[in-house]
Amino acid sequence: MYKAVIIGGSAGSFQVITRILHALPPNYPLPVLLCLHRLKHVRSGFVEALSIKSGIQIIEPNDKEQIKPGKAYLAPANYHMYVELGNKIALSTEEPVNHSRPSIDLSFITAAQVYREKLVGIILSGANRDGAYGLKKIKDLGGLAIVQNPDECQVRTMTEASLKMTPVDFVFNTNEIIKFLQNIKA
Amino acid sequence: MTIRYEIGIVDTRNVIKTLLDDFGYDFRDYALTSFKRRLEYIISLYALRDADGLIAKLKNSKEFLDQFLYDITPETTEMFRDPSFWRILRDEIIPELVRTGTSKPRIWLASFDSGEELYSLSILLKELNLLNDVNIYCNVLSDHTIQRITSGRLDPKDMEVNEANYQRFNEKSKYASYYRTEGSSIVFDVSLIKDVNFIKQNTLIDEDPGAPKLIIFRNQAIYYNQLLSEKIFAKLTNSLVAGGYLAIGVKETLENTNVSNKFTLYNEAERIYKRKTN
Repeated sequence: MYKAVIIGGSAGSFQVITRILHALPPNYPLPVLLCLHRLKHVRSGFVEALSIKSGIQIIEPNDKEQIKPGKAYLAPANYHMYVELGNKIALSTEEPVNHSRPSIDLSFITAAQVYREKLVGIILSGANRDGAYGLKKIKDLGGLAIVQNPDECQVRTMTEASLKMTPVDFVFNTNEIIKFLQNIKA
Repeated sequence: MTIRYEIGIVDTRNVIKTLLDDFGYDFRDYALTSFKRRLEYIISLYALRDADGLIAKLKNSKEFLDQFLYDITPETTEMFRDPSFWRILRDEIIPELVRTGTSKPRIWLASFDSGEELYSLSILLKELNLLNDVNIYCNVLSDHTIQRITSGRLDPKDMEVNEANYQRFNEKSKYASYYRTEGSSIVFDVSLIKDVNFIKQNTLIDEDPGAPKLIIFRNQAIYYNQLLSEKIFAKLTNSLVAGGYLAIGVKETLENTNVSNKFTLYNEAERIYKRKTN
């Protein structure tokens, strides 16, 4: 039914992401792409921190890495992360978008163009508007759009910007996001 | 950069065809997603409406082709990107290059840099007092790039990032000593790059300075598909002297390429490879 899940988050999303990753089994049937705003000059430590409680393996991919189910791909520091035709990661050092590199919009748009209606996009807590346009793109191309309930977010700007731009499919609390992800099929 | 306009794959292929048929510039094996994004950026930048507008502008204006070749290559947005890379270069690689051999070692900046990597390298060499002890060759795709670099006006978007990177590279010195401000713009000290040899390249990097001991090619192959990556890496490998170094981006790898057996990984975190001597 689906080919990939993509999650965007910024300020206040770390704990939510940790809980989601913890709940996914090692044989999870889909790849999970993670675009999270992070310090650009700190290259190491983030994967390690996320991995402590994760049920699935988390990779900070090299350019041209093949995307495989059951793994999470974290956008590396100071690079944009695209999905390229042929189900591969492509990295880019182009200018920041929405003051962000990695930019959630760019990851979401490129994933939407490759996976189209077989993509689930999720926007979590965050302090800017990055991701709102990308989520709209996922929805426009037939994918499924989910936004974390702003009332539950530490910072509601990003989720509210997304809700304003797109008639999303679901507004979920973290528990509901987890339950949904556990039940979707490849 | 903002996202204003999107083109399709057919449009992208039409532009690629024009560039090849009319001008001999081969972008067929550039990575599709980022190339498409660059076209969208250029169409927005010059208010060209769509891909047909871009094609018409390319055909009608000779000067625009050079500008296009400048814009299609993403600018290197930071100086001293990955300060730890530049520290390894300063503390280990460059001293070794000048210590060994009898002639001036050649350093080839082979990526299509917009000047930031070149000035970073030149500042590093100046601080080692070795600026006159190496020959630097710098690839460029457009005349506009040469003008930008030789004017010293790199127009950095974010001097705070550059300053912070530099401080991580060298906390003992002052970044501000390498540029002056003119009104709202920044002008770098052009004496740093006065002896640089620019090599005007086509997109396939067919010109070779010959026998470099160090090739810096960071974050360039990310804009190629697998096929072109392998082709270009093979060219660079053939050019590089035995025992010489090849630096690629920190999230790139030679692992799955046809040249991987020609190298040992000298520094994994900074992706610096050393050419085997056999």
